[in-house]
Amino acid sequence: MSPVTMTIAAQSTGSEGTPSEAAPAERTNARRWSRWMRPALGLALPVGLAVAWEFIVRMGWASGRLAPPPSVIFATFVDLARTGELQRHTLVTLGRVAAGFGIGVAAATVIGAAAGYSPLVRRLIDPSIQGLRAIPSIAWVPLFILWLGIFEASKVTLIAVGVFFPVYLGLMGAIQSVDRKLVEVGRAFRLTDVEMVRRILLPAVLPAYVLSLRSGLGLGWMFVIAAELMGASEGLGYLLIDGQQLGKPAEIVAAIVAFAIVGKATDWLIVLAAAPFLRWEDVVRSD
Amino acid sequence: MLALERVGKTYPNGVHALGGVSLNVALGEIVAVIGGSGSGKSTLLRAIGGLDPPSDGAVVLDGERITAPHEKIGIIFQEPRLLPWLKVADNVGFGLGGRPRAERAARVATALKRVGLTDKAAMWPRELSGGQAQRVAIARALVPRPEVLLLDEPFSALDAFTRADLQDHLLDLWADAKPTLILVTHDVDESIVLADRVVVLCPRPGRIFDEIDVDLPRPRDRQSAAFDFVKRRVLVALDRSLNRAAGAAEAEPKATAGAALWW
Repeated sequence: MSPVTMTIAAQSTGSEGTPSEAAPAERTNARRWSRWMRPALGLALPVGLAVAWEFIVRMGWASGRLAPPPSVIFATFVDLARTGELQRHTLVTLGRVAAGFGIGVAAATVIGAAAGYSPLVRRLIDPSIQGLRAIPSIAWVPLFILWLGIFEASKVTLIAVGVFFPVYLGLMGAIQSVDRKLVEVGRAFRLTDVEMVRRILLPAVLPAYVLSLRSGLGLGWMFVIAAELMGASEGLGYLLIDGQQLGKPAEIVAAIVAFAIVGKATDWLIVLAAAPFLRWEDVVRSD
Repeated sequence: MLALERVGKTYPNGVHALGGVSLNVALGEIVAVIGGSGSGKSTLLRAIGGLDPPSDGAVVLDGERITAPHEKIGIIFQEPRLLPWLKVADNVGFGLGGRPRAERAARVATALKRVGLTDKAAMWPRELSGGQAQRVAIARALVPRPEVLLLDEPFSALDAFTRADLQDHLLDLWADAKPTLILVTHDVDESIVLADRVVVLCPRPGRIFDEIDVDLPRPRDRQSAAFDFVKRRVLVALDRSLNRAAGAAEAEPKATAGAALWW
């Protein structure tokens, strides 16, 4: 009897031993796969289309005059960068966005915080702001031009208006939805009003605020194009118009690519700056 | 000493939650407040803690009238209510805001050791289990060394095993500095395991219906006959408190049948 049981035991431990040793390796492989292959999967379509279009134009099946192939766009991009044109226009646009974003965020933060914190202020100003929000911001352009002229002030104001609304809404909503139970913890520990804001409200509101900053910045980029399309002598939007009027589609696409790069980079800066304060959000519940 | 002098509470919406509760609690005493729903147990606790001051009567601690949260009074809520953006250690030290850094660190370390969570100090609250989180909440309330600790159904959200574990643990912690404990619960076993005195409230509006002294030696054996005897007394009082309430018809018939059996 006993040898038989021994062999069974040996067999069973042997058969169990292999998979349990193999499993972690498989799991790390799977993790590596999901870490690299999932984003790569998303790239398959655009890269595939670009390669296909390049191929079609190279084969002479299409002229590619109105829709330049990737190689031409890249060459135009490099050319613009080499002459310093691209940098100059990008910096001008970036400056407008920075100014408009700064003003819009400052106003939205002060007014949004007041409206979120005080029901009286909210009742007083929120209906008006909601009414203004219903107006497409571009509709203000003629008025801004009449008031502020056709140069920087009207452009920056338009961007600031675009940035204002998402930040205002996000901040006010976040303050209103702060967990009363956590506020009560603050009360139980006898926090002063200032401490309550600093130790409870601010950290509680921060995730939603950062999110609203990001969507505000997105709108800022949208409105800077609108402003520059309507009349500018510099800026990436000017590059777009210039490409249209001189019939240079590659320049237009190059400007669009520059928009994408700078837009993504600025968004990434916000994420990066906020990351140390939001690390608590990333952890997963253990059980 | 903590004295409740005809503490009553009528909310602005007209709900009469508490109808004059008078109670004296000695320093270091453990009092469990138990009662059916609508008996104003939580309202009473919030009045003592100064979170919702009473509309009639007064809460007096050591001769001082309590109308707002007080440094001598700590509160533990039903949920841990840890601040999710603070590490466990910073949550425990939350009430030590004004103290020097070194003192704060030392007291937090002692408290975490006492609740057995030293290894979790650098974790985020979201990474804790429910029982661990409530232990952190207990440590946070105890760190400022309150004279009175209020507990609002602190273990009701936990599973039975964790609950019994934490009840024993709470007594253990209480023995360190022996603060006054006032515990609101709807768990009869819990009230008898922990309390020197069980106060039974009756509903609509909340009043004291009965007080039952529990003079069993600690640690208390939940299975002993003496424990069972006290438990029956509390259950009967609880049962009668519900029957005497305005809506006698609302009292569950099952409970009435139970009472008939016990006597």
